[in-house]
Amino acid sequence: MYKLTLIIRYLLKRRITHFAVLTVALCVFIVVVVMTVMSGLVGDIKQKNHAFVGDCVVGTKSLVGFPYYEELMATLEQADFVEAVAPVVKNYALLSPVGSDRSRGVEIMGVDPVRQSRTTDFAQALDYRRDDVARAFVPLYDPNTAGCILGVDLAYSRDALGGYSFSAQPARVGLTLTCFPLNARGAPARAGSSEVATRRFYYSDHSQTGLARVDDSMVYIPLDQAQALCMAGALKRVTAVHVKFRSGTSLGQGCDQTRTLWEQFKQSKQGAADSNLLDTVTVESWKEYRRTFVAPLEKEEAMLSVMFGFVGVTTVFIVFVVFYMIISHKTKDIGVLKSVGASEASIMSLFSGFAIVIGVLGAALGVSGALLFLAKINRVENWLYERFNWQLWDRTIYSIGDIPHHVEFSVLAVVVCCAIGACLIGVLVPAYGAARLRPVETLHGTQT
Amino acid sequence: MLKFFLWLKYLRRRRIVFLSIAAVALSVSLLTVVASLFSGFIDAFERSAVEMLGDVVISPPPGAIFEKYPQFVERLEATDFVEAASGTLASEGLLHVGRGNVRPVGIWGIEPERRARVNGFKDALLRQGALPEAPTFEVPGQPGKTGGFVGIGVVAQADPETDEYDQDAVLEAMLGERVVITTGTVDLSSSEQLPKRKMLPFYIADVAFSGVHDIDSGFVYVPIEVLQKALHSRKDTPATTMSAKLRPSVDPELAIAQITGLWRVFATEELGWSSHKAQLTSVDTARQLQYRSIREFRKQMWVLLLIFGVISSSVVVLVFCIFYMIVRLKRCDIAIIKSCGAAGLSVVWIFLGFGATVGVVGAGIGVTLGYVITKNIAMIESQISVIFGLKLWSSSVYMFNKIPNQVDWGWAFTFAGLAVAAAALGALVPAIVAALTRPVDVLRYD
Repeated sequence: MYKLTLIIRYLLKRRITHFAVLTVALCVFIVVVVMTVMSGLVGDIKQKNHAFVGDCVVGTKSLVGFPYYEELMATLEQADFVEAVAPVVKNYALLSPVGSDRSRGVEIMGVDPVRQSRTTDFAQALDYRRDDVARAFVPLYDPNTAGCILGVDLAYSRDALGGYSFSAQPARVGLTLTCFPLNARGAPARAGSSEVATRRFYYSDHSQTGLARVDDSMVYIPLDQAQALCMAGALKRVTAVHVKFRSGTSLGQGCDQTRTLWEQFKQSKQGAADSNLLDTVTVESWKEYRRTFVAPLEKEEAMLSVMFGFVGVTTVFIVFVVFYMIISHKTKDIGVLKSVGASEASIMSLFSGFAIVIGVLGAALGVSGALLFLAKINRVENWLYERFNWQLWDRTIYSIGDIPHHVEFSVLAVVVCCAIGACLIGVLVPAYGAARLRPVETLHGTQT
Repeated sequence: MLKFFLWLKYLRRRRIVFLSIAAVALSVSLLTVVASLFSGFIDAFERSAVEMLGDVVISPPPGAIFEKYPQFVERLEATDFVEAASGTLASEGLLHVGRGNVRPVGIWGIEPERRARVNGFKDALLRQGALPEAPTFEVPGQPGKTGGFVGIGVVAQADPETDEYDQDAVLEAMLGERVVITTGTVDLSSSEQLPKRKMLPFYIADVAFSGVHDIDSGFVYVPIEVLQKALHSRKDTPATTMSAKLRPSVDPELAIAQITGLWRVFATEELGWSSHKAQLTSVDTARQLQYRSIREFRKQMWVLLLIFGVISSSVVVLVFCIFYMIVRLKRCDIAIIKSCGAAGLSVVWIFLGFGATVGVVGAGIGVTLGYVITKNIAMIESQISVIFGLKLWSSSVYMFNKIPNQVDWGWAFTFAGLAVAAAALGALVPAIVAALTRPVDVLRYD
């Protein structure tokens, strides 16, 4: 009880402790705001990549692809941990708008829209055909033409707030896609001729995945069209089969089981035609498959945390100095306490408790301020934009919507624990010094 | 002299002062490293544009193309402000490198000799970069064959561990190899407007490594006349951009005005363009073309520095606490000084000067530390990679294969100045408290 009384007394009487509280609050405020925005961005990118890919990918990096995918899909669909599977052909093509003599390189993705929607968030990314995904490649203005879906940034420009001005119906735009069809040996299918595979499609919808590189360069076409454009040979091939696991199946468990099924499937196809193409196929979780895009952000988040750790050393110093001051002024109190029987551990716990109180108060203040600021952060940014034409990110360049402001409990918990930990580190040496004081010396010194 | 003596005494006796020096040093070094890395990155970004494009870039209106570009290049080179100029015909295509290996590439039709005079293109060539002669598309050992250059990232992958290319191995493997580009254009005059596809086979005459990831992994270079013939056979020496290198000490703004004037005369007189169409041609410096991206990078740097700066401002509180404690513990010294006739202002200066000295020493250590870290950043990064298996810098993410290691002295001295000011500010209140000390109150009890 006396500890609590002393802590409250010191807190109220020694105003210097308020500086420690304020410093902790400032650090906590900034770290919570920055880490919330950063982890929000990273989490958002992860979620979008997951939504784009599904849970697991059985695929090859080679553009030649692999055969027997229909049998593989049937095998996977029979497994009790698999909810849906979708075949995909990925390749590159030249895109030329009809009426223009310019062309640009794009990625094409051949998909079965219904299967793809069951496996990934393909349908949710569409605009006109979101509720009728089976007809995603049927243009609203002409059901008899072959349609294609454009990455949204291929079709529209972002405005200053990161939005698009979509029309009520897709405009009639013809696009020619030209591909390099490869045979099963990886050679151009019609080498020696100037012919390459060319088809005309009409814009039927756009896809907004929120992934800048995808939305800026991806053209989706029907799976069979993609196979015809990019692949030649007797056996139909795909470059990947995307898999969605049933709820309750963990990612690691699902991927391991898929790997086992794949190995069995590969064994069963040994000696079959073009079975050598199966050797290049790997089974990856969505995190592994999209690591090129996710890993750098995670690294930056970690680097930022380390830098905050360095800057936070100043807070430890301040707590140290504040306690050093308090203890050097309160040697008489310590002498009295020890002379009435308080142990060294008791003195240590008194000051450690005080440090925890400072940490908790500072963290509470910082967290409250951060929550308040984060709740208004987008309004603040809008105000800054309207008033000073200033944005945190230029939305015409970056594919970022609102500034993430959803506070994660884990981030809060880590920051608060770090703040209290910093206070405890700061108090360690002064508290140890106080515990080692000899009552006779302190009381004797006071009398003289 | 008395002040100096007291500062030394307090530094020696009150070791807690070293904490404030350490805090100042830590903040200054961190801010210096962050600002230097960011500034270095932005500078490299700007420089890469100039090195790859030239000082000034002339681009046609949307949908249009330059014709008779060699004549305009000659006109430019005849002026006293342009040192060299060249034209580029750009397109896009699919490159077939080998079995199952097809990738989209940007195609630049160039005149290598002219281009090498306009920008640092020659230095990027692995084989011809070190040769005294101007670069050519001649394929070693295969005279008469159509040669071309490929970006190193187009035909090889960097080591995922070190993020470096085995340049010798790539050159040895790819030199003289036959590759095929598929590109095309649309004949707008035909009724069908179907694309005409062109296969451009060529032999690799050299491999380009500029250190800029997007350029190295996305572009191939072919003779401009080959691309002109394939894509625009009916046009007279077409080009999609023209670049110029300015003579030393020429003001870019002035040069742009003069080039714009020259172009308008050329376009209306030689090409028959309307004055309106000629006006739509943009003439920019390479730096202006990167303006939007650079503005964003700078903004991000400012935001990051602001965040770290605000947290670092707690140094003021730290110095305040330490100096307040010194003032409280050294009331006796202060009283003696005052009783000997020192004015209040003199006492203020003792502690303010001491605070500033703490700032100067801390800032000095911080700037030195920042310098050492920045200069050795590549080594530090590789050590982190070895110890923790964490590759922090990757050219595919940060565009360049080298981490910038130039210290931004402007920022470093700014932070040092701010640190000194912060330390002095922290010492101000304790100094005033010291100045207000009445000797009679203190000495009475001693």
